[in-house]
Amino acid sequence: MSAGALPYLKAISTRLLAGIPVFILVTFAATALSSLAPGSAAQLILGENASSQQIAELNAAYGYDLPVWERYFKWLGGVVQGDFGRTLFSQQSVAKLLVDRAAVTFEIAFLAMFVSFIIAVPLALYTASHPGKLLDTVLRSIASVLLSVPTFVTVVLLAYIFAIVLRWLPATGWENFSDDPLANLWYVTLPVLCLAPHQTAYLYRVARGEFLATLQEDFVTVARAKGMPLSYILLRHVLRPSLPQVLTVLGLSMTYLLGGSFIVESYFAVPGIGWTILSAVNSHDFPVVQAILSLTVAIFVVIFILVDLGYTLIDPRVDVS
Amino acid sequence: MTGARSRKPAGKPVADPQSLSEAVAAARPRLSRLRLPGGTPVEAVCAAFLLLLVLLALFVDFIPGLASPNFPYGDFSQPPDLTLNGILGTDAIGRSILSRVLYGARTSISIVFFATLISLGFGLLFGMVAGFYRGSVERAVDLYANTMASLPPILVILALVASTGSSVFTITVALGILDIGTYARVAKGGVISQSNRDYILAARAMGASDARLLLKEILPNLVPALTAIVPTLMAGLIITEGSLSFLGYGIPAPAPSWGGMIASSTDLLSRYPLLIFGPVLAIVITVYALNTVGDYFARRLSSRERQG
Repeated sequence: MSAGALPYLKAISTRLLAGIPVFILVTFAATALSSLAPGSAAQLILGENASSQQIAELNAAYGYDLPVWERYFKWLGGVVQGDFGRTLFSQQSVAKLLVDRAAVTFEIAFLAMFVSFIIAVPLALYTASHPGKLLDTVLRSIASVLLSVPTFVTVVLLAYIFAIVLRWLPATGWENFSDDPLANLWYVTLPVLCLAPHQTAYLYRVARGEFLATLQEDFVTVARAKGMPLSYILLRHVLRPSLPQVLTVLGLSMTYLLGGSFIVESYFAVPGIGWTILSAVNSHDFPVVQAILSLTVAIFVVIFILVDLGYTLIDPRVDVS
Repeated sequence: MTGARSRKPAGKPVADPQSLSEAVAAARPRLSRLRLPGGTPVEAVCAAFLLLLVLLALFVDFIPGLASPNFPYGDFSQPPDLTLNGILGTDAIGRSILSRVLYGARTSISIVFFATLISLGFGLLFGMVAGFYRGSVERAVDLYANTMASLPPILVILALVASTGSSVFTITVALGILDIGTYARVAKGGVISQSNRDYILAARAMGASDARLLLKEILPNLVPALTAIVPTLMAGLIITEGSLSFLGYGIPAPAPSWGGMIASSTDLLSRYPLLIFGPVLAIVITVYALNTVGDYFARRLSSRERQG
């Protein structure tokens, strides 16, 4: 097996290396942007009435007044050692703060992904094998309407229905899974419901198209000619070769889910990374913004490595490199 | 061509009244006849809606009797009634929601239009150079496109707007920055696939300069692929701009924006749920129309490619 694992390691390291320029571009751009922001960091921390001596002392201590390049390299040096700096105001460790917050966002994002997969893929399998039928037409129309509803509209409408009219689910608040799993489920449901419709519609569209294309393949015609039951053909012959494309869409839609989590978390006051970056942007807490940008880029590099590796697991014809 | 079929030959005198009424019914424009070439009725309606929206946004100042979007015109939080200004109700300080939706359309459309000009312009420039000369320009374009694809648009735009302050100008530029990579990548792909064709070889043999090849020979052939993605990317920009306003980082008050209107009506949602429908319908229908027209373009493009 060790000989078999080597190409995988090589493929992973190539992709990790390819992610480095993206990471540097994003984080450097963020550092440069932060110097455009009105008011210096020291001024923000100390308030309006700070004396110039106090400001100078703080700048000397944290290096807030250094030129962009020097600040960036200082930050990068810290990151290499796993140190993302401290938050401007409470001087907490940014890395520790983010680990807690990211867990919340990931829980919501992965549950939304799971829900949409469970709904979209079976429906797409069925309608792709019965094209032009009523259910196919209806679902296609529903999907294109759902794709046109922005997340912030979904959030407002579902919160109104489930929290205000029906009073089934809480409109704000959060409980960690580790503290109380049941309460966690209670709080996570509405955020997940808000992210799922768009995601489901998108996945449904892509999956239906893929299944439709696979159903035209010769091996499906052969299977049909042999008189195999449709359900068997769908599960054994159609599902697997279509999955790589579906997997890519799942990977790509992490951008959407993360963007959606900003809206969802700010509306339901859920302490995830979306909520954190909004409050950090509000208070110009630059180290937090910088760390979240780094985290986002890192997530995408990792996700695309996973998607590529998933390809080779699903479809052995695909070469890892 | 379905469009040609709907135009009945006008000749042939009609004798009896029954066939006359039939002829009148046949000549009356029916929804099922309204089509874009090779498109469905829904696609035609969506295109017509977008045209109407642009006209309304351009000429909203001249609509007779429309109240000002920024001043109270009646009682606050009134439910919809049958007057022009009250048809969508009034907001928390008594402003006409219809008026604010229409003026909000003007803001959204102009921001998205100019942002698209920015991203299309720069995207074309960088994409064409990257596709033609390859090398380091191509690597830079790929890096930019990959970077933008790996970040949620709202995160990019929040970072930009938070550090530059939010005004119509900064939001337009920030939105314009988002899609440069996507347009550049499509332009680049188009240039690469066109460069090896015979007509380029012929033009080169005749001594055409690089600029002439790019602008006169290749550019016209990039237009279909680029127009096909414009509506869909515009829909994305409408959503991003709306999200930004919803989060409170959009165009500063009191200028009306759809996202901001939705955000402010959520506070009153439990008591006045009807008042949210105006801005919600405006943004959902606009995005739907853009997506549908985008799908139409994309389908036309792919059938064109299959033929040619």
